[in-house]
Amino acid sequence: MRRTHEPDGGTPHPPRLRPPAHRVARRAMAHWAIESALLWALASGLAWGVAAFVDEWDGRRRWDGLLGWLGERAWWLPAAVVAAGVLMTAVTPVWRYRVHRWEVSADVVYTRTGWFSREWLLVPVSRIQTVDTEQGWIERLLGLATIEINTASHAGSSEVAGLPADVAARLAEQLAHRAHDLRDDAT
Amino acid sequence: MTTRDQHRDHAAATARPRAVRLHPLTFVVGAVRELIALLAAGAAGLAVGGLSTAFFFTLAGLAFGLLVHVAGWATFTYTLYDDRLELRRALVGRSVKTIPRDRIRGVDISAALPHRLLRLAIVHIDAGADGGEGVLNAVSRQEAERLRRLLLAAPTASPEEPARAPRRVLARMRPRWFLYAPLSGAYLLTPFALAGSFLGTLYNLGDDLGLITRERVEHVGHGVVGLPRAVVVAVAVLFVLAMPVMSVVAFALFNWDFTVYERDGSVVARRGLVTRRSVSLERRRLRGVELTDNLFERLTRVARLGALVTGLGDASHRGRLLPASPRPFAADLAERVLGSIPAPLVGHPPAARGRRVVRAVAPPLGLAALALLAGRPAVAYGCAVLALLGVPLGLDRYRQLGHATDGARLTVRSGSLRRRQVVVEHGAVVGWRIRQTLFQRRLGLATLVVAVGAGDGACPATDMAHGDAVALAARITPAWVAPFLEDGPAADR
Repeated sequence: MRRTHEPDGGTPHPPRLRPPAHRVARRAMAHWAIESALLWALASGLAWGVAAFVDEWDGRRRWDGLLGWLGERAWWLPAAVVAAGVLMTAVTPVWRYRVHRWEVSADVVYTRTGWFSREWLLVPVSRIQTVDTEQGWIERLLGLATIEINTASHAGSSEVAGLPADVAARLAEQLAHRAHDLRDDAT
Repeated sequence: MTTRDQHRDHAAATARPRAVRLHPLTFVVGAVRELIALLAAGAAGLAVGGLSTAFFFTLAGLAFGLLVHVAGWATFTYTLYDDRLELRRALVGRSVKTIPRDRIRGVDISAALPHRLLRLAIVHIDAGADGGEGVLNAVSRQEAERLRRLLLAAPTASPEEPARAPRRVLARMRPRWFLYAPLSGAYLLTPFALAGSFLGTLYNLGDDLGLITRERVEHVGHGVVGLPRAVVVAVAVLFVLAMPVMSVVAFALFNWDFTVYERDGSVVARRGLVTRRSVSLERRRLRGVELTDNLFERLTRVARLGALVTGLGDASHRGRLLPASPRPFAADLAERVLGSIPAPLVGHPPAARGRRVVRAVAPPLGLAALALLAGRPAVAYGCAVLALLGVPLGLDRYRQLGHATDGARLTVRSGSLRRRQVVVEHGAVVGWRIRQTLFQRRLGLATLVVAVGAGDGACPATDMAHGDAVALAARITPAWVAPFLEDGPAADR
């Protein structure tokens, strides 16, 4: 039996999960980049609107202290949002691509997702209730698809994004079949 | 329903199952609420404007309401087949709701005051997410009991079972426990809720009758502002004094004679003074329990017990197994309903302590800094005090973190102001989620979320050592986790 409960985690080699076997498609980076660019463009637009509004308002000089100081520099806001957007759009897709991995073994779907924080998710096929394939419009342009795996618990529901569409379709069908065969009555 | 009818129902294998109407008095209980509202409105109309048009409208509305209820009763039938329950409604459009009997997870019988006076009951049939819920608005008590027995009986059970299976009381609340009511925040707020809903009803009623005009509202507003300070203080003091008393009253109303008993493979919880509720939880669907308490309850060693049941909607209300009660008593009931609770809890690594404290202190501290920059020192001092209080809070949050497992169940505890300990059967686990932020990675910590197909679906074990999180998952479900473990010197020791 493995040592499990050391209050200080002091085992010399605690068990670790190895990364899942497969990476997602490279095109997924393009998907994430487009999505992020669109989102941040929207945010920049909003920030620009806010700055314009504050600029107008600031003519009356009704604020003091920090707010007044901020009010004078309203145009920093859209600049900061644009800078953050450019940075995020450049960095996160690559980061995500390095983290996102998936694997389907005989009876478990194993995924690793996230970028800043990571999530490892293990969902046994026998507990899967439904398997959906989804394609947003960007994904359709790039020939990608997302598989959504639902269990009785929201926390145990998994999503594998950025798969090539044909792989996703095959996998979803296969999983749905196997889930039907293996399903036990845990819920 | 007579015994002959029952026999006929039981012999339904050959004959076509009979469509049954609700109890004939259904429209009475259905109309009672409208009746009261309309009578009040009519009386108000009478007092204000004599036999005004409002009053006639009231009478017409009353007649129409009764008609709708009678028509609703006449067009609604339910039929119990061998494999399904069908609810047919044909008032405006035709609708047939089919609930497969093997999907039924709970049958909940309740009775509001009018129902109790007429010896009727409401039957809620719970069929999980994909089956939906069916409501039989008023049936006789015997029929409700019969339905519960039939619907919750295992499909293989023979219909010739004795009418009343032995009933074993698992727990019954003691009147002394009513004194625990003020410890819980929710019941303390009841006077405010009551006053609020009373004022709201008054306002709506007045608004419907056109009694409320802008001038009058403003007049009342000026009147309130103009009240002498002594009156305001007196009202406030009255409210503060009323809080504990009213909380005990409200607690007693909801939890009167709280009894948990066992019958036919179900755990049944009955409670309530005016509205008597009885919730049946099928034993094989009961996958875990949760013990919750808040700071005050913990100091007096009081806890509440809830059941985690698969596919039970509104679980926080309906899954209740015990109201505030002495902790050993609650733990004892938990053990009898579910089985032994794994103990002792294993604490989480010291690295988690700093994280808990930082997370308790940082938000008020940040607010304080902002307030200081914005030139609001008073707010800043307030936030600084909150930040100071955050230190013991964070330390206690760390102290409460813990997890444990034995051969059949695992348990996870977290929270301080509201502490929650969840006990779940291993078989109820539907997945593992291990979450690690960049900060947690640097400290070697991870949060293990146990996905469970019952209750709210997730029990997080916050800030475990990363290796412990993996090891715990691997120990409980070796077949799922072992194929993905790194081959290291520790892998198969």
